[in-house]
Amino acid sequence: MLAGIMVRGGSLQFGDLTVLSSFDLHVRRGQSLVVTGGNGSGKSTLLQLCAGLLPPTTGRVLLDGYLPDPARPSALFRRGVRRGFVFDNGGLLANQTALANVTLPLSYHADVLGLGAKEIDERARQALAEMQIAQADFHTLPAHLSLGLQKRVSVARALAMQPTFVYFDDPHAGLDASSIDLMEKILVRFHEDQAVTLMIATRDPSRFDHLGLPMLEIASTCLVEPMR
Amino acid sequence: MRSTVAYDPRKRSGPKVGFVASVGSGVLGTLKTTGSLMVTLRDALGSLFTPGAAARATVRRIMLMQILFTGFEAVTLVSIMGLLIGATLIIQTRLVMPGTGGEMLGKILVTVVLRELAPLTTAIIVASRSGTAIATELGNMKANSEVAALSAMGIDPPRFIVLPRLIGAAVSVIVLMIYFSAVAILGGYLVSGLIAAPSFSALRAGFGAALVWQDLVSFLAKGTGLGIIVGWLCCHYGLEVKASRTEVPQKASKAVVMTLLGCVIFNTAITGLFYYFVGPPVR
Repeated sequence: MLAGIMVRGGSLQFGDLTVLSSFDLHVRRGQSLVVTGGNGSGKSTLLQLCAGLLPPTTGRVLLDGYLPDPARPSALFRRGVRRGFVFDNGGLLANQTALANVTLPLSYHADVLGLGAKEIDERARQALAEMQIAQADFHTLPAHLSLGLQKRVSVARALAMQPTFVYFDDPHAGLDASSIDLMEKILVRFHEDQAVTLMIATRDPSRFDHLGLPMLEIASTCLVEPMR
Repeated sequence: MRSTVAYDPRKRSGPKVGFVASVGSGVLGTLKTTGSLMVTLRDALGSLFTPGAAARATVRRIMLMQILFTGFEAVTLVSIMGLLIGATLIIQTRLVMPGTGGEMLGKILVTVVLRELAPLTTAIIVASRSGTAIATELGNMKANSEVAALSAMGIDPPRFIVLPRLIGAAVSVIVLMIYFSAVAILGGYLVSGLIAAPSFSALRAGFGAALVWQDLVSFLAKGTGLGIIVGWLCCHYGLEVKASRTEVPQKASKAVVMTLLGCVIFNTAITGLFYYFVGPPVR
């Protein structure tokens, strides 16, 4: 089995627009990768492609050797592929409270994870507390939370799932200094966890210099090693 | 005449397309749309057989909420429309055919209300009330990366999003059709009592003479089919939104227009089949 993220001959086009030219990529299990590039270069798109959320126009993406099926992502979950994706806007369900957003994937997969209602609630509250979400905000809808708080809830949702693949899209965007510190701690934790494959898309790669992570840059639809 | 301005509305944009090419492009577009509609329905119905007891319980909760919103919350509107439509039908019949007796009025109520007005009016109410809400909600979810987030969490969008809305709409349409029929017949009976005073037994004799057992089959087929069409098309067009919020109202509008068209075509087809097997409407 090919553990980690494997892309073979992957490319992406929207109509006549080429977003990503054909490329190969292998991020081994436990490894981390930072993808950088200018605005509109396709960082978020690459991240979604590597997470199996966007089907490539050509080639294929494998997660731990499994091909993601966009109509049945639960099949991947049952095979042990747990993805935590932190979108740049949070990607929280607008009609569910912060707590419900975190409990949703746990409830949906309760039989696979072997969790009862009490354990789900405890795990979700613990993840929210870890991301320093105040108790008062547990029952608040995302629309009434700041972008920074929404992103923290989104990280809590990923944490609660105990993922094997973690994707961060622009993790520092829209955060204040204390939220950035918190985000850094979580990123380091995922990076040091040998069971987690981590991919980060960012406009500001200098923030990850101290971690010494491998980097790729998207330049003119191609993945290249950046000048460092 | 040569254009002298940078933007000239008289000037055609793009290459000139011939008749055959435009017909071909239209046919290909229709086939592509039909194909993607079928994929939406197949994935949703196929998810009925996806394992996962916990997922099933989650989907059941969403379905009940959908029935509450689509069915229960539409009761007032359906009551008003049913009463007025039933009453208007009897008034018009008495104006066109002044000598119409109670039995004939009963037959007309059964033929027009039960067979045609109840299914179509209910579907139109559900499509315009809940269909727009479904398409808008899903369009916003798509633009807000919520659908992608569900996929990332291992939650199947066809099962979590489409299936409960499909079943919820079908159950709601069937229940509302039954309710609409009862209210419309009541409205018709009240008005006919005011203007012609036919006995209830005469009306009931008309109901009995016009009703056949195939009516139950047709009624249920129409309710189930129309409900599925509302849930299916509105979910499909809502999920067609790519990433821009400006697409949401466009897709919602398209969803309702296509749903209404689909409902009318489906209703006509079932009516045609019904009379093909049963015979003329009023004997």
